[in-house]
Amino acid sequence: MDVNRRDVLKVLLGGTAVTAIAGSTAHVAKAAPETVQPLEDAVGLLYDATKCIGCRACMPACQNANGLVPDRGLSHGLYMQPNNLNSQTKNLIKLYVAEDGHERSFMKQQCMHCVDPACVSGCPMQALHKEPKGVVGWDSGLCIGCRYCQIACPFNIPKFEWYRVNPKIVKCELCRHLIGTTETQPACTKVCPTHAVIYGKRSDLLAEAHRRIKEKPGYYFEDRVYGETEGGGTQCLVLSRVDYTKLGLPKMGPESNASRVRRVTNVIYQGFLTPVVIYGGLVAVVRDRWKEHLQHVEDERNEDNDSKGMHV
Amino acid sequence: MHVRDDMSLAVPTAIRNGLDRRSFLKVVAQATAAIGLTSTMAAKVVAAVEKGARPSVIWLHFQECTGCTETLLRTSHPGLAEVVFDLISLDYHETLMAAAGRQAEEALEAAIKKNSGKYILVVEGAIPTKENGIYMQIGQKTGLDIVKHVAASAGAIVAIGSCASWGGIPSADPNPTGASGVNKILEGKMVVTLPGCPANPYILLGTLLQFVALGKLPELDELGRPKFAYGRTIHEHCPRRAHFDAGRFAEEFGDEGHRLGYCLYKLGCKGPSTHASCSVLQFCEVVDAWPIGLGHPCFGCTEQSVAFRVPMHKPSEIVRPTPPSTYAPVSAPQGFISPIATAVGGLIGGALLGAGWMASRGMKDKPAPSTHTPPPNQNSDSEKE
Amino acid sequence: MSEKWEQCVRLKEPLLTKPFKFFLGLAGFALVLVALREVSGLGYVTGLNDGYAWGLFKNWNVTALTALGSGGYAVAVMAWIFNERKFHPIMRTAVLTSLVGYGTGMLALGADVGRPWNFIHIINPKTWNHHSVLLEVAVCMTAYVILALNFENMPPFLERMYQSGDPQRSKRALQIFHYMQKSFPFWIALAFVLPSMHQSSLGSLMFLAGDRVHPLWQSARLPLFYLLMAYVLGFACVLLVLILSTYAWDLGWDEEILGRLAIVMSWLTLFWLVLQFVDLAYRGVFELAFTFDRYSIVFLVETVLILVPALALQSASLREKPAHLFRLTLTLTIGGLLYRFTPTSIAFMPLGNYTYFPSVIEILMSVGFTALAVVVFLYAVKRFAILPASAGKIAAEAAIRPFDTL
Repeated sequence: MDVNRRDVLKVLLGGTAVTAIAGSTAHVAKAAPETVQPLEDAVGLLYDATKCIGCRACMPACQNANGLVPDRGLSHGLYMQPNNLNSQTKNLIKLYVAEDGHERSFMKQQCMHCVDPACVSGCPMQALHKEPKGVVGWDSGLCIGCRYCQIACPFNIPKFEWYRVNPKIVKCELCRHLIGTTETQPACTKVCPTHAVIYGKRSDLLAEAHRRIKEKPGYYFEDRVYGETEGGGTQCLVLSRVDYTKLGLPKMGPESNASRVRRVTNVIYQGFLTPVVIYGGLVAVVRDRWKEHLQHVEDERNEDNDSKGMHV
Repeated sequence: MHVRDDMSLAVPTAIRNGLDRRSFLKVVAQATAAIGLTSTMAAKVVAAVEKGARPSVIWLHFQECTGCTETLLRTSHPGLAEVVFDLISLDYHETLMAAAGRQAEEALEAAIKKNSGKYILVVEGAIPTKENGIYMQIGQKTGLDIVKHVAASAGAIVAIGSCASWGGIPSADPNPTGASGVNKILEGKMVVTLPGCPANPYILLGTLLQFVALGKLPELDELGRPKFAYGRTIHEHCPRRAHFDAGRFAEEFGDEGHRLGYCLYKLGCKGPSTHASCSVLQFCEVVDAWPIGLGHPCFGCTEQSVAFRVPMHKPSEIVRPTPPSTYAPVSAPQGFISPIATAVGGLIGGALLGAGWMASRGMKDKPAPSTHTPPPNQNSDSEKE
Repeated sequence: MSEKWEQCVRLKEPLLTKPFKFFLGLAGFALVLVALREVSGLGYVTGLNDGYAWGLFKNWNVTALTALGSGGYAVAVMAWIFNERKFHPIMRTAVLTSLVGYGTGMLALGADVGRPWNFIHIINPKTWNHHSVLLEVAVCMTAYVILALNFENMPPFLERMYQSGDPQRSKRALQIFHYMQKSFPFWIALAFVLPSMHQSSLGSLMFLAGDRVHPLWQSARLPLFYLLMAYVLGFACVLLVLILSTYAWDLGWDEEILGRLAIVMSWLTLFWLVLQFVDLAYRGVFELAFTFDRYSIVFLVETVLILVPALALQSASLREKPAHLFRLTLTLTIGGLLYRFTPTSIAFMPLGNYTYFPSVIEILMSVGFTALAVVVFLYAVKRFAILPASAGKIAAEAAIRPFDTL
């Protein structure tokens, strides 16, 4: 088969270049990105920082419900004193105080159960996955401990048991092991004395949040609830008087990182089409070169034999 | 008929005073309220008494100091001992009864026979078990035999005080008499244990009143202790808890912190490991009349693993820690840069760069291919594989 | 003055030299540390934490160093796609560097995962998350090492087998080799497709982190940049290895091959730089390069380390001087590796107040893995006919027909 090398080359290189560049500029494409909508029955939490009194009943409650060993921090065993979410702490109340003290707020930190989670998108084995009602759950039977979820999560939630030989990824899973059997709501919402954090369907919680905002215009920060659109939306929502970034919630646009990656990979790979097509083209080119090479080698050998006066 | 207004004195007597109905109702209301029973309960108590149903109580003493009886006598709401005895029929009590000797023995047997299957057996004191229990005998009968005999036809068995509940102070190491709680001896029978040294009398009163009013015992935990009294640790409802959470401790007896009433944890308070209700009920009806209130750490008198075992001033283990009064900041620093690692990393990086530089300095001239055969080497260079 | 490389030779130098023993010691120590890591937790052995969950193993040994291991890929593309026949003598060397580079990279990856027993599920495609870039990297890299790299590295081994003196084995060797000759295009095409997929995916990995990677590096074009840099570093690695080898063992200086490698590498790098420049301008973050905070400084250093050698290597006179060629290539390598390493670590900004620096054991393990690559390389070149040499070098055994066709 006499393939015109030049043309094949041109087509191949051009195709690769086009695919690569097109894939790279995917975000400019006017075509609608693959957004994920919240499930109909998605559940979550609404945490109103203005109602939280910092009693932290939710912290021991979470520890008990999840069978966690309390993190005693630097307290010489006296207190439950984690200073961050970690492999022993799925839920944490933090305190933000402005430098000049003019404003302060509590912040409850736990997994935000995103609508389109980056951790689920990145996890190679689907160990982190969406459970019924949109809860983001972790499966120990599939996790290989690669920790890509820790790289991916914009809220820095998944924590790893660094000091164990059988390490788990630890994060809030909205007490999914209890709800439906012994409980109707997560441990934290059950014990909250002021109902600062409540559990329910995301649609209901959003409605409630909007109702509160409407009731007191100008009271909540920018008159909006955090998590409605951030990063594609989260199922755990936050209301606060102070700027959300001061509470440790990152500023994010409405597009989730997961959907941005999907767009790039979709265009590059077009399912599995692009690699297969390129493979085919390469086989054709290499075959051509290979035949040439063998011919060359043969010619060389004959030359050698001739020069040595040998005839094989 | 007269009502005793002097409610503070408890007179150890079996006198039954006839109270008018109104006063009686008042006292019952006070009694039930003090123990946390609702007003409907009070009504039931009244009804039960008016019906004439006063359960028989047989109270036995074994290896004890009689402290539990003594504290019981220092209650005033219910006001007087006789009100209590209006609600129950105390048929045998070695400290309080007038009878002695054979008369007392006969009274005991008579009471057992008369109320067989219905009387409440209250046990005070531990029971020695070594060498068939010869270390405690009444009328030449061992404590073991006595308790088994009386418990055989009891309707309910209540062990009052740590001694009867798990052995108490007689059972402290090396426990020469083999002192044991009554529940160990009466295996198979349900025994309500009310540990404490002494037990808080209102817990007994609450248990008895509930039995009288409802005919059943309160909800018990796995050790037979009523949950209403032993469901929480001292640490969980201590008035000095705020000091603990804030890290304000008395470090030595008599120091500034001690004088200011700070938490006694560092002085060895066993509150975190002790289930009891002393901080709520207190003793002798005097405010702060309980160890911590008086400035001495709790020594865990209700707990078998703590009292008379763990040194009094050794700090307790905190099994269920809770957050302190300080909070985590929004971004606590995490991670550690080891100076040795930076040094090692720098060394390796520098060494590689240096090696590269040195290698390049030897590259002034282009390498000429060697045209000689290197000397044959002794290394295992064989092609035989 | 230069001597063309016309054959592949097996060095007859002694194996257990001082340097070899040194690298062997480092490698052995690293393997012991791997065992240590397996029986304790990652936290005891590394400086990793929840903010910086990926450290030296993933970010350096895999992301950065497998780019060095792309030499086999890059040179093969020149030889088989662009028909530059002159590169055939160095093919064996190039694919050997790929094998050791990827092999030790996979070892580092294996030591790094926290729950390796669940790897078994990877054979069941039902558990795969098709959207996961990391899955693509893992499956593709494994397939590449097992299929393509092993295939490419077989000829020297088959040659030895043929020479073993045992007629059975010789026959087997020839049979296998004939199969290889017949199916060559299919395997080589695989050896092109697979690495382009995973080398670009190594770039896409950090794309998922979004704003957590500093804007000077975060880009939707990361896959393209990583792939191009893999080519550049692949050439660089082969250049460095060849230069060091020729001085160590007097292989001769093939001006044509080395010069060609260098100029192609230079053009590719300049192309890469132009794309970078366009990308930065397009994303509007160009001014961030001059704020002189630590990110800007790292970026500028990286760019200078890449730009200066690329420009300098345009000069033929510099390319012809071995010392300069070596130094410039080394500088470019450092810059390129830094580029591949930075988005995963230095430019990674997790939420919160985290700091990370590898622990001493982590550093020693990482160095040990690289030492292992060197050990295997040294062993291979003294046991098999791999390194190129000029015809004048008769000191070592040459590759033989028919195996030297590959």
